[in-house]
Amino acid sequence: MKKCFLLLFFAVSIVLLNGCNKEYKDKRVSLDSDVKSSDAANNYLTRPVYAAFSLLAGHGIDLKDVKVFRNNSDFLEIQVTGYNRAVYTKRFDYKVDWLDKNGATVDSKAAVWMPVSAKSRTTFDFKAVAPSKEVTDFRMDTRKTPE
Amino acid sequence: MKKLAVLFVIPFFLAGCEEVQKVDTKNDTGKQVMSLDYRDFDQAASDMIQSLLHSGVLSKKDGSRYVLATSKVTNDTMQRIDTDQLTAKIEEDMMNSGQVVMTSAVGGKESNRDDTVYGMRDVRDSSRGEEFNQPTMPQKGQIIAPELSMSGKIFQRNLRYDSDKQQVEYYFQLKLTDVKTGLRFWQKEVPIVKRGSNKTVSW
Repeated sequence: MKKCFLLLFFAVSIVLLNGCNKEYKDKRVSLDSDVKSSDAANNYLTRPVYAAFSLLAGHGIDLKDVKVFRNNSDFLEIQVTGYNRAVYTKRFDYKVDWLDKNGATVDSKAAVWMPVSAKSRTTFDFKAVAPSKEVTDFRMDTRKTPE
Repeated sequence: MKKLAVLFVIPFFLAGCEEVQKVDTKNDTGKQVMSLDYRDFDQAASDMIQSLLHSGVLSKKDGSRYVLATSKVTNDTMQRIDTDQLTAKIEEDMMNSGQVVMTSAVGGKESNRDDTVYGMRDVRDSSRGEEFNQPTMPQKGQIIAPELSMSGKIFQRNLRYDSDKQQVEYYFQLKLTDVKTGLRFWQKEVPIVKRGSNKTVSW
């Protein structure tokens, strides 16, 4: 019993001491949990707990930002940014339908389901370009990538 | 004898009852296959179209359109592929974009050329040419030469992944070249990689 307490104390001490490390952070750089140093929130003890919680909570993709702009050729272009909160890589498909000023769909051979792979707990983005200058708006749909 | 005849006919009726499904190509969630299927061509073409439109190489300063010819796109896979399955989609979207007009006068493949273009010129130079209303006949020096040419290839690599699995890599490569100068304006490679049982074939 004493040994168990000692081991637990040792483990908790490591976690707490690791947490005291001053870590340089930059939002633009993502370090994988298997690459970066362990800290209080992410180490061999807490990782399985967090993974189980994430699975139970049904973590998935969060939409972060949608940028819409006209490129140099005057074609509408969109950039969708998201964050994968899940503890595993999420694969999904997206499809963009392009709309003209009347809200009518502009036909395009590029309007098909396209795959995206978002690594666990990282930010990802993808771009799409309208097929003609007449496009003024868009509509985007997603689905789980078929196996 | 009658019984024999009935026994002979029954399989034909049963065969007729087998279920045939029309694939929903807009939202197909069917299983992946080791060889290339229409979804792979859709994805490759979409990637190519998006890259071309994003690059801006087809945007002329004066707003006019480029004349584009489709040159050879080689099929270097183990499958019997009509490369038009890729190029036709790209050509269609390029034309619809308003930046390009395709030429049927020249091209690397017969399907990209229209025999009538030269056929009518042969007629013009023959005695049959007199039967036509002359101002409606094509005159010499009217065919517009292509400014850009699209070429490329699709190739395949088969790798042994482990004792049970194989990896098949397909590469779609396209290039856009300025015919006058020979300079390449754009190129793109789209890889499609599949991993599956050794028992499945990729040709």
